[in-house]
Amino acid sequence: MAKRLLDFRDRTAVAGVGYTPFTKNSGVSTLTLACRAVMAALDDAGLGPGDVDGLATHRVGDSAPPTLVGPALGIRDLSWHLDQFGGGSVSHAVVGQAALAVAAGVAETVVCYRAINARSEFRMGGTGRGLPASPEVQYQAPYGFFAPPQQYAMYARAHMLKYGTTAEHFGRLAVTQRANAVKNPRALMRAPITLDDYLASRWIAEPFRLLDCCLETDGACALVVTTAERARDLRRPPVLVSAAAWGGGESHLSGGPADPATTAAAALAPRLYGQAGLGPRDVDVAQIYDCFTYSVIVQLEDYGFCPKGEGGPYVASGATALDGELPVNTHGGFLSEGYVHGMNHVAEAVSQLRGDAGDRQVPGAEVALSTAQPGYVLPATSALILRRD
Amino acid sequence: MRPVFQVTTDRDSAAWWERTGRGEFAVQRCEACGRARFPARTFCAACQAERWHWEAAEPEGTVESWIVNHQAFGTGDGEPYVVVMVRPAAVPDCLLHGGWLAAREPVGGERVRGVFTPGAGGLTLVDWEPAGE
Ligand SMILES: [Zn+2]
Repeated sequence: MAKRLLDFRDRTAVAGVGYTPFTKNSGVSTLTLACRAVMAALDDAGLGPGDVDGLATHRVGDSAPPTLVGPALGIRDLSWHLDQFGGGSVSHAVVGQAALAVAAGVAETVVCYRAINARSEFRMGGTGRGLPASPEVQYQAPYGFFAPPQQYAMYARAHMLKYGTTAEHFGRLAVTQRANAVKNPRALMRAPITLDDYLASRWIAEPFRLLDCCLETDGACALVVTTAERARDLRRPPVLVSAAAWGGGESHLSGGPADPATTAAAALAPRLYGQAGLGPRDVDVAQIYDCFTYSVIVQLEDYGFCPKGEGGPYVASGATALDGELPVNTHGGFLSEGYVHGMNHVAEAVSQLRGDAGDRQVPGAEVALSTAQPGYVLPATSALILRRD
Repeated sequence: MRPVFQVTTDRDSAAWWERTGRGEFAVQRCEACGRARFPARTFCAACQAERWHWEAAEPEGTVESWIVNHQAFGTGDGEPYVVVMVRPAAVPDCLLHGGWLAAREPVGGERVRGVFTPGAGGLTLVDWEPAGE
């Protein structure tokens, strides 16, 4: 079905990014983390809280909403805010919805943020939190199957069985991303690793080892989204939002295509590329949601960078390394930089397009893809294509 | 050993669990278009009809994937256990999870048979074993 879309290609821009340090114990509340990241992003843009008329976040009952962060920073008149329920699958939808709000004129300057104490307060990878309100969970949890590494490991093995993906493929991805983190002062894990280190790391849930899993992290990251025109007058080079898409996909478990080796990203990708008027060959650098090694491999396929089933060999060929044809997760990703649930992927994409990524800069990067959790567990995902002005 | 994660059944699923308690592996069958579905819910996603009935099916399927869990999640003790993902013959466009009852690991695509096992909270679970052994 053809849809009439508000054409917001390149009409909005990311004008600033901000971070708190990434740690294993922030020692402060998520409200404090959120405020610090928002202030840092505004400072990066050369703006202050008085310039903000929109705030947006996503959370799963684990963090401070815009209705707390706004007043805490003296932002009195929010004309638009978004408190999106959800985890990694909606991380990029939050930025996309902010861009839509700005393009529609509902708000002029929106700060998107994600703040979590995912290690010290609310362990994201474990089982200490309540079961999500998915009808499918009650058919899984009684079998000792609920934690994210278990769920992704199950899908990873399905991909291994169907396409011959191997532990070495997963390992090469972990090693490559760590090499990027070595060049990133923000990264939590900066010691280089080898394929042998990967293979020797302990089992979590076979086929996943410890080094297949991302870092549970305390930290926050924020982005300033405003009109392209306004961004051009601010402190930093604007990074244009060329496309934002979310939704897509069908359940892997009930009545959909039931192909556990393909994700909602395969349905989303044509819509995303279509909005930008670009294709996978135009992408210079990609920040791809890496809660686990496997989630990158399946998305390289589903976003069209290699044929279906060849994500593992594509990574092993070196294509995703910093000097490869498609540098991926140049900050080290969730596996090595830290896990801020997606927002730090968008921020790294912005950094690459501004040319301020330091030792890990991809020379001449003009177009970046940044993606969310690709649609496992819940059948939805989101993604952005960003472009240098 | 697998840990106990407390779950509550709901108004859609209670009847399914009641049937496993009687040793029955049931699927919902749409009375309008005939399509089988799992997990339990009111609407047929194919034709949107609300009319359906429970239908007993053979607890048979094939192995789609599995994990060997090592991490001591929740109340787990770190002893490895296997969770298998099965494509049920009665509803081939669905995937369901269960415990694995053989000493060896599963094989991709192998035929398996459901075994009713007492679980936590009074639920009767459906675990799986090789069909031909
Ligand atoms: Zn029907």
